[in-house]
Amino acid sequence: MATVTAPAEGRTSSAGAHLSRKKRLFFPFFLPAVTLYVLFLLVPTVATVVLGFTSWSGAGDTPRFTGLDNYGELIASDAFRYSFLNTVLYIVAGGVGTFLLAFLFTMVLREMRGGKVVRAVLFFPNIVAPVALGMFFGIILVYRPNRQGLANYLLESVGIDAVKFLAPENITWVVTGCLIWASSGFYITILMAAVDRIPPYLYEDSDIAGATPWQKFRHVTLPLTWDVVGVAGVLWTISAIKIFELVFVLAGPGTYSPPIRSWTLGVYVFDRSFGDQGAPQYGMACAAAVVMILLVSVLVVLLRRLMRRDTIQY
Amino acid sequence: MKDYPDLLTDVCHLAKLRNITQLDRVVAMRSTRLTALAAASVLVLTACGGGGSDSGSGGGEAQLTLPGVDEYLNAPCPEVGTKPATDKEFTYWSMWTADEPQGKVLGKAIRCFTEKTGVQVNVQWLGRKLLTQNVAPALNTDTVPDLFDQDVSQVKAAIVAPGGTQTVEDVLDYKVGEGDKRVRDVIPATSWDFPANKDADGKIFEIPYELIGNAWWYNKDLVKDFQAPKTVDELFGLFDKAKADGLAAVSQDGDIDFYNAYFYTQIAERYVGAGGLEKVALDKSGQAWLSDPNLAKAAEPVEKLAKGQYLVDGWDAAKFPQVQQRWADGESAYLFLGSWAPSETREYLSKQGGDKGIAYATFQFPQPDGAEHKVVEQLPLGFAVTKKAKHPEAAKAFIAYTLNKDILSGIPAVADNLTPRADLAVPDSLKDIKAVLESDAEHTIFMDGLDALSGGKWVESVFYPLNNDLLKGKLTAKQFVEGLAAKQAEFWKTNN
Repeated sequence: MATVTAPAEGRTSSAGAHLSRKKRLFFPFFLPAVTLYVLFLLVPTVATVVLGFTSWSGAGDTPRFTGLDNYGELIASDAFRYSFLNTVLYIVAGGVGTFLLAFLFTMVLREMRGGKVVRAVLFFPNIVAPVALGMFFGIILVYRPNRQGLANYLLESVGIDAVKFLAPENITWVVTGCLIWASSGFYITILMAAVDRIPPYLYEDSDIAGATPWQKFRHVTLPLTWDVVGVAGVLWTISAIKIFELVFVLAGPGTYSPPIRSWTLGVYVFDRSFGDQGAPQYGMACAAAVVMILLVSVLVVLLRRLMRRDTIQY
Repeated sequence: MKDYPDLLTDVCHLAKLRNITQLDRVVAMRSTRLTALAAASVLVLTACGGGGSDSGSGGGEAQLTLPGVDEYLNAPCPEVGTKPATDKEFTYWSMWTADEPQGKVLGKAIRCFTEKTGVQVNVQWLGRKLLTQNVAPALNTDTVPDLFDQDVSQVKAAIVAPGGTQTVEDVLDYKVGEGDKRVRDVIPATSWDFPANKDADGKIFEIPYELIGNAWWYNKDLVKDFQAPKTVDELFGLFDKAKADGLAAVSQDGDIDFYNAYFYTQIAERYVGAGGLEKVALDKSGQAWLSDPNLAKAAEPVEKLAKGQYLVDGWDAAKFPQVQQRWADGESAYLFLGSWAPSETREYLSKQGGDKGIAYATFQFPQPDGAEHKVVEQLPLGFAVTKKAKHPEAAKAFIAYTLNKDILSGIPAVADNLTPRADLAVPDSLKDIKAVLESDAEHTIFMDGLDALSGGKWVESVFYPLNNDLLKGKLTAKQFVEGLAAKQAEFWKTNN
């Protein structure tokens, strides 16, 4: 017996030693991460919220507490109104467009020969910096009679009148389009990874039952990727709320802030912090940043609610 | 195959075509990428040798009787007029980079100043964004520069408004190193004595060393039998003639708000005088826009410009600088732009290859009917001294020294730009602008300084959106001023 218990005891004590070693290691591992997190994320976030209630023009200037004045000014400001509405538009319209396109590709790509290559190609725009994309689209979409940009050249060559894509009244929709083009590859990649997990026999079964591609999507693909779609939706919301560079270079000359009608919250915050003229208004920028945090929180919570559902096991 | 001297000549011509000033669109500050080009051009020009070989081959840039770059940079240093008594050093944060033309000129000024006085200059070449990125953040620390530079408008908005400068009024009486000549003797009052250059105490905060102007530009080779317009009707007559000749009348890069604003402000200033628009803009009720009927009248030519289809098709659906390039390509006859127009368009044309140049010529806005103020817009670039400067005396002595004829001549010679001094050579394409800047017209800064109001927020929220609509033909002149009145009242409720 002794021989049996001894190892058992030994095991227990070694497990105990392991546990206490683990405990001893807990703080050395935990503290640096938490310290960094608190220092570089939590503190700045709290500082942003606090500074949102002040008037402050940066380094050394003493922030002056102004209560809700900044928020009052935000609401009264045309620039902010346009920024807010445009941002919501980009999130919603851009999101719907991106996901429609992504779903469409999941329907097609799964069965397509060379789908892997196509997938890789579709991902390419995602590698390019949005600033470069903005400049690129600026050249593609230019309207110049007799020497059109590529887009209008193609339109004219099939007998359609050239369109003033970059005119202020169209720019928001053009940016939405570019956004969808640029980001759908990323979401196609995520969704396709989920689709690849679905057992092929489910599709084979549907084929035998004579299901159309739409039916396969509706009854197999979508239910079985639902949780991934939800996560992708959250990812989209978080990235879309930060939209900045594409708008900055596509809607304006690229060196100055574009006209306020095309602004997003990101542009607003940038302009108030590092705009071309005048002393920085970090208080206002912080207030707008707080609105961004609130907006993204609300949208993400809503989205999670909307997408909530029991996970399907398969 | 070409032999070496020929080849060198070609390179030299090309260099002059591009000429070396590319970077002077200072308001615009877009051009860091051009720095390398400019530097390269300077190097090439150096190889071309100095001594008045500036026979521009760009078509139109005629003989400039300027010293060569080499000659300027190697010339002996002039004497310092007013020497600092105690300071042994000072710090200068520059809006230029060391290797661009103005940087070279100021670099020489620094070398010479140290040589003649023994004062060490700690210079940092920071580039155009220095005010918001460097100077403003440093203001409340103890590491401020003693001296910095930028255009008056930006310095006022970013540094003077929060109280970061001290007056440089005393520099006006510093000697520049030419006998008894003081600063106020060599630069005209119009270049420094105006409201936009005054701080809260009404004292001037900047001494200019370079002037930027603006004008209507046209190509003499393209627009024949040109007669400068004396009335707005004659101006539209020119436009109609251009259209009849199969050209578009006016090129305008519509995605830059402040370019779009030039038309209205240029005309309105002539009705209300220098500083008049700023007063109207500061009216809290906004009613000032309606109480003076001339303000609506000034918008009528702009409305006509829009509704008469005078702007080149597509002006509002392109990205800067595509539309001004269409002017350079000869698609349109006229272009309203600052004195940086030649350097920008020349650079574009040289990149296109070929030897097509432009015979640059300019004229000013004509006097509108019933307008009583002769007004000229300028944008002085100059030096300012920080409030917390540790060595203001040396910094101020350096300002005065920079205005010495033998130092300042580098601005036209090396940088192909205008200075406030009347006795320096003037680049050919800028002669008309220089003449009007030296006339007795009322001087105001670009856009009457509207873009500096409320740190730029006034134009951004009130003026630009409505002005863009006016220029797009969406508003009548009357609706435009009514809109301004309403928006402005709303704006001043929440801003100050």
